Amino acid sequence: MSPAQRVLVVDDDNEIRETMVELLTDEGYEAVGASDGYEALAQLRDPADRWGLVLLDLMMPNMDGRAFRAEQLLDPVIAPIPVVILSAMTDVAAAAEELGVAAHMTKPASLRDLVQVVRRYCTTTD
Amino acid sequence: MLLQTVIDAVRDAVLVLDASGRIEMWNRCSEVLHGRDGSELRGKPVQVLFPVDDPTVPPIEALLAEARAKSVVEAERWQLRKDGSRFATHLTVRFAPREEGSPERYVTVSRDLTERRRANDQRFQEDTKFRALVENARDYAIFMLDTTGHVASWNEGAQRIKGYTAREIVGQHFSKFYSEEESRSGKCERVLQIALAEGRFEEEGWRVRKDGTRFWAHVVIAPLRDDQGQHIGFSKITRDLTERRAAELDRLDLARAQEALRLRDEFLSVASHELRTPLVALQLQLESLDLQHDSLEPKLGAKISRARRNATRLADLIATLLDVSRIAEGRLTLNVRRVDLGELVREVVDRLEESAALAKNIVVVSGATQLHAFCDPLRMGQVVSNLLANAFKYAAGAAVDVHLERSDNIAVLTVEDRGPGIPEHQLERIFDRFERAASVRNYPGMGLGLYVAREIVVAHGGSIRARNRDGGGTAVEIRLPIMKDTTQ
Repeated sequence: MSPAQRVLVVDDDNEIRETMVELLTDEGYEAVGASDGYEALAQLRDPADRWGLVLLDLMMPNMDGRAFRAEQLLDPVIAPIPVVILSAMTDVAAAAEELGVAAHMTKPASLRDLVQVVRRYCTTTD
Repeated sequence: MLLQTVIDAVRDAVLVLDASGRIEMWNRCSEVLHGRDGSELRGKPVQVLFPVDDPTVPPIEALLAEARAKSVVEAERWQLRKDGSRFATHLTVRFAPREEGSPERYVTVSRDLTERRRANDQRFQEDTKFRALVENARDYAIFMLDTTGHVASWNEGAQRIKGYTAREIVGQHFSKFYSEEESRSGKCERVLQIALAEGRFEEEGWRVRKDGTRFWAHVVIAPLRDDQGQHIGFSKITRDLTERRAAELDRLDLARAQEALRLRDEFLSVASHELRTPLVALQLQLESLDLQHDSLEPKLGAKISRARRNATRLADLIATLLDVSRIAEGRLTLNVRRVDLGELVREVVDRLEESAALAKNIVVVSGATQLHAFCDPLRMGQVVSNLLANAFKYAAGAAVDVHLERSDNIAVLTVEDRGPGIPEHQLERIFDRFERAASVRNYPGMGLGLYVAREIVVAHGGSIRARNRDGGGTAVEIRLPIMKDTTQ
């Protein structure tokens, strides 16, 4: 069996990030958190990891979701990793189109919807 | 007679007073200057010729007493004409002690300073054009005070602003322009001292007109000096800024009110964002627990479901607050697309089935089953949902009718309940923010549902209104333009 593809949860709010990591782990995924764009880039560039999906919050301090996406697209190694935007902003659909991401969800997303999206891109460890 | 002839030849006003200060003798010039004929001078106490309303000037009795001690004294004094107007004089009082056959007396000699003062004035307003400018200036009171603060000249603007004519005010102390309280506190003297010491005194403050009303004045007082540098008085320029001040205060009030509203909206925005973030984590956790329902003890499962329902309610309330804050900040964005309103209504009714059952309401949908319009389906769904939630809240236990139809290029959606209705005078107001027809105590909620509904409908170019049904209850009608389908 091939090693699992990991989910990177990028969100500056500790509780939301840790909850999503915990629940996705419960669902059998390998999920890891990053609290801003810089941390997320550092994680994605670690050659030891295989990434299946990035769940990206838009509004974050330091490097926000948009800046992260721009950096990601400049780096051919990590550019193909699919990104799903998760944001509380009302115009999340417009933002998704602008940033050319795979999908978007409006916070508060339900766990069921979340798992459905992750399932499309990542395999579980079982 | 010889004496009379002699003093008549003098070009100053000469009076001879008896020991008690009554006028015994006068000359022609005195009659002219004081505007009184002999019968109006003879035997009169000399005090009638001097103003007595000015506390800053010692009374004439004091001068007589001083002359008795020193034999002669000189002073500048304002004196009165018969008509009450004043003129400036240089006054000499000489005491004539008792001699043989002759009782003690006083002799006063008054030199009219009007001409000299005018000359002084002119020195500072040599340019006749400038003088005309000053005299005719209507928006500025421009006048002169003597060294002790008595009005020495007056212009058109001064009359207009303060209400006194030149005749009424010249010679009076300028404390008349201040409130009694201020002039008693020695303010006028302080003001002149500052002007003299610093070369200028400037302030804004309340002043009193002749009729007793107050006005907000901008005042500049500066000392005047003659060619030799001798201090000869003050120039005073006063502007009436009452209206400008009132306008400024209005502007300030408005700005303060706007700032308060802005702060409220900002707080609303920050608070609802902050409230929502932990709620997202909470809802995800509760949902995760709820999904394990089957493996839990039944009692625990029920508790989790209840907790989850209430978290959802809380999320809905916060979402409403966020909407209100977006509307207030003009950030309500619509994702418009072609939507079947019939389907949208059915979806909302299905979603609210549980709430309807709880309130023992039956929702009856009628009219067009398919009606396409361009709108934001989430937002329009929210409108329908808000209207139904309102009906469930205020008209529990009865049927609620939802009717959709097309009228020309307008989609008309009506939600009718059989509740208590709305008092006529409140029909317009129920769509305002934090407004509701029912008392706050009897019904929960923030009074924001209809406000958000109206704002969404208006953002779509539509309209919303409420009316009372003939058979009781309320009907809310939404009219939404069916935009031309440009995709076909």
